Amino acid sequence: MQNSDVITHDVIVVGAGLAGTWAAMTAAENGVKDVAVLSKIHPLRSHSGAAQGGIAAVLNNVRPVAGTGPRGPLEQIPPGDDPVDSFDLHMFDTIKGSDWLGDQDAIEIMVKDAPDVVIQYEHMGCVFSRTKDGRINQRRFGGHSAPRANFSADRTGHVLLHTIHEQALFHNVHFYAEWYVMDLIIEENIVRGVVAINVLTGDIKMLRAKAVMFGTGGYGQAYKVTSNAYANTGDGVALAYNAGAPLMDMEFVQFHPTGLYRHGFLMTEACRGEGGYLINKLGERFMEKYAPDKMELAPRDLVSRSEQIEINEGRGVMEDGQGIFLDMRHLGREKILERLPEVRDLAIAFAHVDPIEEPVPIQPTAHYSMGGIPTTVDGEVLANANGDLITGFYAAGEVSCVSVHGANRLGTNSLLEASVFGRRAGRAIAEFIKGGAKLHPVPGDPAEKNRKMVQQLFDNDGSELVEDIVQDLKMTMTNKVGIFRDEEGLKSALDDIHKLQERFKNIRVMDKSKRFNTNLSMTLEASHLLTFSELIAAGALNRQESRGAHSRTDFPKRDDENWLKHTMAHKDEDGRPKFSYKDVTLYWDRFPPQERKY
Amino acid sequence: MSNNDTQRTVTVRIQRFNPDVDKKPHMQDYQVKMWPGMTILDALHEIKTHQDGSVTYRRSCRHGICGSCAMHINGRNTLACKTPIINEVKKNNTVTIGPLPYLPVIKDMVVDRTSFWEQYLRVKPWLIPPDDIPEREFRMSQEEVDALHDAEACIMCGACYSSCAVIGLNKKYLGPHALLKAFLRVLDPRDTAPGERLEIVSQADGVARCHTIFNCIDACPKGLNPTQAIETLRKLAQKRQKYEEAKAERQKHLNEPIPS
Ligand SMILES: Cc1cc2nc3c(=O)[nH]c(=O)nc-3n(C[C@H](O)[C@H](O)[C@H](O)COP(=O)(O)OP(=O)(O)OC[C@H]3O[C@@H](n4cnc5c(N)ncnc54)[C@H](O)[C@@H]3O)c2cc1C
Ligand code: SF4
Ligand code: FES
Repeated sequence: MQNSDVITHDVIVVGAGLAGTWAAMTAAENGVKDVAVLSKIHPLRSHSGAAQGGIAAVLNNVRPVAGTGPRGPLEQIPPGDDPVDSFDLHMFDTIKGSDWLGDQDAIEIMVKDAPDVVIQYEHMGCVFSRTKDGRINQRRFGGHSAPRANFSADRTGHVLLHTIHEQALFHNVHFYAEWYVMDLIIEENIVRGVVAINVLTGDIKMLRAKAVMFGTGGYGQAYKVTSNAYANTGDGVALAYNAGAPLMDMEFVQFHPTGLYRHGFLMTEACRGEGGYLINKLGERFMEKYAPDKMELAPRDLVSRSEQIEINEGRGVMEDGQGIFLDMRHLGREKILERLPEVRDLAIAFAHVDPIEEPVPIQPTAHYSMGGIPTTVDGEVLANANGDLITGFYAAGEVSCVSVHGANRLGTNSLLEASVFGRRAGRAIAEFIKGGAKLHPVPGDPAEKNRKMVQQLFDNDGSELVEDIVQDLKMTMTNKVGIFRDEEGLKSALDDIHKLQERFKNIRVMDKSKRFNTNLSMTLEASHLLTFSELIAAGALNRQESRGAHSRTDFPKRDDENWLKHTMAHKDEDGRPKFSYKDVTLYWDRFPPQERKY
Repeated sequence: MSNNDTQRTVTVRIQRFNPDVDKKPHMQDYQVKMWPGMTILDALHEIKTHQDGSVTYRRSCRHGICGSCAMHINGRNTLACKTPIINEVKKNNTVTIGPLPYLPVIKDMVVDRTSFWEQYLRVKPWLIPPDDIPEREFRMSQEEVDALHDAEACIMCGACYSSCAVIGLNKKYLGPHALLKAFLRVLDPRDTAPGERLEIVSQADGVARCHTIFNCIDACPKGLNPTQAIETLRKLAQKRQKYEEAKAERQKHLNEPIPS
């Protein structure tokens, strides 16, 4: 290998969202000098910045006004008054939300680290909305039984991302902006580094490191209607899987109940947290039927399913009957302007509807990937269901599965997860480096191998356009691996995916230039979509029960006897997934499985 | 608007330039069939994925929050993802798209933002908090939070920067985005370095360079007002010492409840 081709760092973090940046910043803060972050888009463009509603933490700053019930107005808790929220309550809500598939040790850690992480954000300059006496303001969120969503109007992710990025700059973290990671090198269960394209020049380089951390985010782009950015193509899960790491619980994909009709962009759950209603064609608040207690603030899987039933039974709105109305008019102008300015802007810009005057048409939208790379609570990646580790490989945030969300994530728990476990991974990496971690040799010449692969893509000159394959995949995933699933549909989806994988061999890349070739990165991303979509469908076909976001019409009940376990997918020698299963960590005495009703 | 009207075919005229092969930029026309609600970004995606994969631009979030897709559309800087195409094709059934002005072009709509990020770094965008860190949050009033709104909501898209005539002439000027960031920290009751920051912005390439032409306000797709922030900084810089004292006084009470 030529030396000029190789870049070396102590730590390489892939991904500059909250998870990656927390890890990098914390490792640097804890004395690791040489930390580099690679991101395929500029760090501040990372999808964490799109998060709207809030970040969960038990701060006990506000409470419902006495006597107004669970949906009444909120007020600050006067000093000395009893708290309304507790770690146990946050844990229970999260566990119940996860339909008991979340690992309770990880959930406990997340919940207990939460106040500290949110306060650290505040101390680092994050601009939160405030209570009258100047504390961080909190709002309600679906599935949470106390107001614990700490927020900054409806651009919480934006302010968190900018704050942590600035701190990483302060700690001299080195950023490679617009470097696309295309390969992860693991040999003998030890991480060696990554191969990346410098998008600007088109040069492909090997980057070696003692530790590699993935914070590459989610994969909503496999679906037709999604709240996710173009960048959310699941590169990290696909690269890890191809490098031999397992993936866990991939069949659990969250559909958010309020994507803007047709566009899929998010109308944050805070719209309902602040008191918005969901209305069908008949003008009914239909959640009365499905979750009489929590109503619109039931967890997302339940609300999305309820909406889909309303739509399927002909009570949807809009020309094609595929919409539902989100009615916020009763919140009043002032509250909408103060608390939900960005979503109002979105509704006006894209649906030509002002939520102050009219209900907003919405529909369920693919939103969050519960599954991902399995890790310990310190971000170390598991090599298998036995709990062995891949030395030097870490992951946190949406790409990972630790698992705190189990079968269904509660809103505001994922900004929290990315922050808490990003920070923990950063600390663990610092320990690892300071404990004398070595730079392991790289066998062969992976950079050259990847250059050849790209050249082959360019030379391929087939007849298929990448986009046609991607669009067909999105249709398959939406129609057959969506909110409701059954055996016939899932089998047919797998069939479709295999055919699409074949068709992919016959693609043509239109742009063959070196400079800023986003046609090439989109092609690589498409191959990643095809890789992990197979695992979603296959995992869903195997799992013969309904749990959280995975809803099988042919197996409508949760089956704890057979399925209270995590799915682990491994790439077999023949390139097809092989499945094994891993126990869920439960505190049987404290949070034993219960029926999940809202 | 009739359905026919929203579904007609329109011309998207794109300024093409790849410095590796082109001597100078040239215009290229593409035909795109509109659909209801189509944005300029959707049209570019359609062109890139079905007609010409070499058409190059940055994008990610699709809804005006990541700041990637600022470009020059019909002579105006704005976000491609938040601009409905129907509004832009009124003249000759054509929309003209190019890169943000004043910045070196990397390829088509992708510009070199090095100077933009350098200026951002120059103002030390991070908060410099007091030494004495409480266990809980610093107390701030909602009014103090509201005062930061424009600076805090900025998505660093650069539409303002590249519409600023001063930047056109002098890349050393801090620019509206960096000054907004400086404003964010100077005004934040928790920041302990207002003096140092006001010093930075009062240097030769700082607030004094702003000619209050207001291009930035017109350009900002988030409706923010960098000029006003620059004005405020200018005023605070003039009475720097007094402001520093006031802020030090405020910081004595950061751990106390805001009086009602
Ligand atoms: C619209 C929306 C609203 C949301 N609102 C909330 C909310 O209110 N509360 C909440 O808790 N959660 C919310 N979520 C979820 C939450 O925002 C995400 O789960 C979380 O931000 C993920 O953070 P991350 O750091 O894991 O990944 P991301 O922020 O997605 O970052 C991924 C990073 O990886 C990089 N990357 C990816 N692939 C590559 C590659 N091949 N090479 C190099 N770099 C790569 C990207 O450039 C990026 O920097 C929301 C999600 C969406 C879509
Ligand atoms: S002030 Fe407005 S135009 Fe300028 S970078 Fe910020 S968001 Fe963009
Ligand atoms: S794509 Fe994010 S602002 Fe346009």
